[in-house]
Amino acid sequence: MSTATHSSAKGTGRLETFSYDDQIVRMFVMATIIWGVVALLLGVTVAFQLANWKLNFGLQWITFGRLRPLHTNAAIFAFCGNGIFAGVYYSHQRLLKARLFNDVLSRLHFWGWQLIIVSAALTLPLGITTGKEYAELEWPIDIAIAAVWVIFAVNFFGTLVKRRERHIYVAIWFYIATIITVAVLHIVNSLEVPVSLFKSYSLYAGVQDALVQWWYGHNAVAFFLTTPFLGMMYYFVPKAANRPVYSYRLSIIHFWSLVFIYIWAGPHHLLYTTLPEWAQTLGMIFSVALWAPSWGGMINGLMTLRGVWNKVRTEPVLKFMALALTFYGMSTFEGPLMSIKSVNAIAHFTDWVPGHVHSGTIGWNYMFIAGMLYFLVPKLWNREIYSKSLATFQFWLATVGLVLYIISMWTAGITQSLMWRAIDVNGKLVYPVFIETVVKIVPMYWVRAFGGFFVLISFIIMMYNLFMTMKAGAVSKDEVFEAYALDDSSVEKNATPHRSLEGLPMVFAILAFLAILVGSAIEIVPSILSNQYITKMDVVKPYTPLELAGRDIYIREGCYLCHSQQVRPMTHEVLRYGKHSEAAEFVYDHPFQWGSKRTGPDLARIGGKYPNMWHYRHMINPRDVTPQSIMPIYKWLVEQKIDYSSLTGKLKAMKTLGVPYSDEEINTGVAKAQEQAKAITEDLMKSGVPAQVEDKELVALISYLQRVGKDYGSAPAAPTTAEAK
Amino acid sequence: MHKEVLSKFDQTWLPLTALVIFLVCFIAYTYWTFKKSNREFYENASLMPLDEGVKNEQ
Repeated sequence: MSTATHSSAKGTGRLETFSYDDQIVRMFVMATIIWGVVALLLGVTVAFQLANWKLNFGLQWITFGRLRPLHTNAAIFAFCGNGIFAGVYYSHQRLLKARLFNDVLSRLHFWGWQLIIVSAALTLPLGITTGKEYAELEWPIDIAIAAVWVIFAVNFFGTLVKRRERHIYVAIWFYIATIITVAVLHIVNSLEVPVSLFKSYSLYAGVQDALVQWWYGHNAVAFFLTTPFLGMMYYFVPKAANRPVYSYRLSIIHFWSLVFIYIWAGPHHLLYTTLPEWAQTLGMIFSVALWAPSWGGMINGLMTLRGVWNKVRTEPVLKFMALALTFYGMSTFEGPLMSIKSVNAIAHFTDWVPGHVHSGTIGWNYMFIAGMLYFLVPKLWNREIYSKSLATFQFWLATVGLVLYIISMWTAGITQSLMWRAIDVNGKLVYPVFIETVVKIVPMYWVRAFGGFFVLISFIIMMYNLFMTMKAGAVSKDEVFEAYALDDSSVEKNATPHRSLEGLPMVFAILAFLAILVGSAIEIVPSILSNQYITKMDVVKPYTPLELAGRDIYIREGCYLCHSQQVRPMTHEVLRYGKHSEAAEFVYDHPFQWGSKRTGPDLARIGGKYPNMWHYRHMINPRDVTPQSIMPIYKWLVEQKIDYSSLTGKLKAMKTLGVPYSDEEINTGVAKAQEQAKAITEDLMKSGVPAQVEDKELVALISYLQRVGKDYGSAPAAPTTAEAK
Repeated sequence: MHKEVLSKFDQTWLPLTALVIFLVCFIAYTYWTFKKSNREFYENASLMPLDEGVKNEQ
């Protein structure tokens, strides 16, 4: 029943009847539950694979490098994505007193999104990937994402147009910012040149690609995992607490400040390695400034619970939402902290980063979605929750699991970092053999895996609890509501500019777009212009055809997920890996492969460091050359043939992107590649490798690895185990 | 690496302009939002999530 005094029911327009489309919300709720289990199961699988390499089972389709992108895509776009659509569609209709714009568009949105997820689930294990983190899906799927997002936008803004409330509630502002910004991020970062249906190369290379990618990567967190959830928080927390938000005016300040500042903070992903001092400082300052709006929102949410804290103890919805807000506060404190340069020097490339990421995705996103599902399922299936005790058990199991995850990753991250940077009085690395630093943290990988397992079990408990609630409940016929159509009588006379704006969704959307555009310009303009400032090095040449084929195998296997290709200008990194990286080295790298995590050592100077035979043995069984290595085996690389048929097309695509291949080099590319493969094979045969490997993928991969970083600088000689001792 | 590239990118007017825009906007929307005369309006607006709508009983 109506309780508010703000409703257009007081209006003078025509009285209209309508119903809400709750069926589409039910569909997204079901999808959220199903994909949530899949995402967590994949997460637990890859966590155990890191703890014990044997769990890769030697099967390419389920090896870490293929499953990890599937896990992140499933968690972000399948689980959180469906949760967002469920929450947005439920609250959007009720806040506007209007049914969704078009039922057909709603169904197209739902099925289109599920089709995209299924496409991801099929292509990523097959190694079909762009090799850009959180944007791995290939170009046909990218186009599908853009199309479905447009359908969502039309449905969303169409509902705004036919609304029966003049004022647009703050939750919807967050949704508007989400829709616009995600569209911009996705389109700009996904610009690529197709080679075939399943292969494309990024339009950008090296430095430029890195800047665009991390502008996208950082803001994907901001505008996919944060702003829509904050919008839902401003609807569902007051709803569950049955009291208005603590301060509506604070929520307005929260919105504009967050939207404006968040988009600036991307450079903190590139500290030390990328930006000049002024840009690094700017990125750092705006990251630290994010503390204010983030905590403003968190405090606003928690303070809404004033007077109902006793209910937090007993009501699953409030319990999960209070915990979600707490973790939101914690992770938005930790993020800016990690953006401070001196802290970042320690944290970057270590396990602290996934620890931080999961305090956000599990602590904030999972917990909030759990609270929202406990709110929605009883409402939509007309039944009290099946078991509050089970919900409480889930709550504690998920919390304990998450705490185990975070603490183990903090410990692992700081341990790694301190061991990497330890230098003795003679100026030598204390731990020159990288595997020493890996072995130390494997116990933490076990703790993390079991922590993740607890979180998975907690989710399965929720799934059971919700399905039992649905089974006992019933879907009733849509209820009919009535409200007055909007007319001029609801237009406020002499309103302040911002008040007027709150009733003009399209103008509001344009201003929100401008707000994110200003911040984006700080990162995008330098990236567009960056090529002008790179001093070309004559020594840096394009990859040979075989090396290019090998690089694609490197991308396909997800090597960048565990190995960086970037030596930071720090003493311990130069001692360990060789000359620090230069921008000109990457001008032909479409896409860049710098990575963001070092489970294994950096590979920027791997070229020429070891003989071909070392790589051959390493890929077939890493323990043969590095005892105690946790790397999976890649034996299929000596079974599968090099795909020479696509090579000419790849060279042509690279030429289109500006790589200086001559027509002759393109036309003779396959012959040149076969010639190089023969030379590598002859070298391997001296160590007893059969001649049949000549046309196998491993030879192409070796050719690439032997080239990486070699044009500009070579690595110091690999330390022997005896030397290390 | 990017450092030597972008250290030559001397268009520092760009972030400074953005900073000024942000500060001006921040002051403006904070002023409008916290104007005393807006208090009642926003208090009513905050009640919107609690309003499911009026059911048509016919």
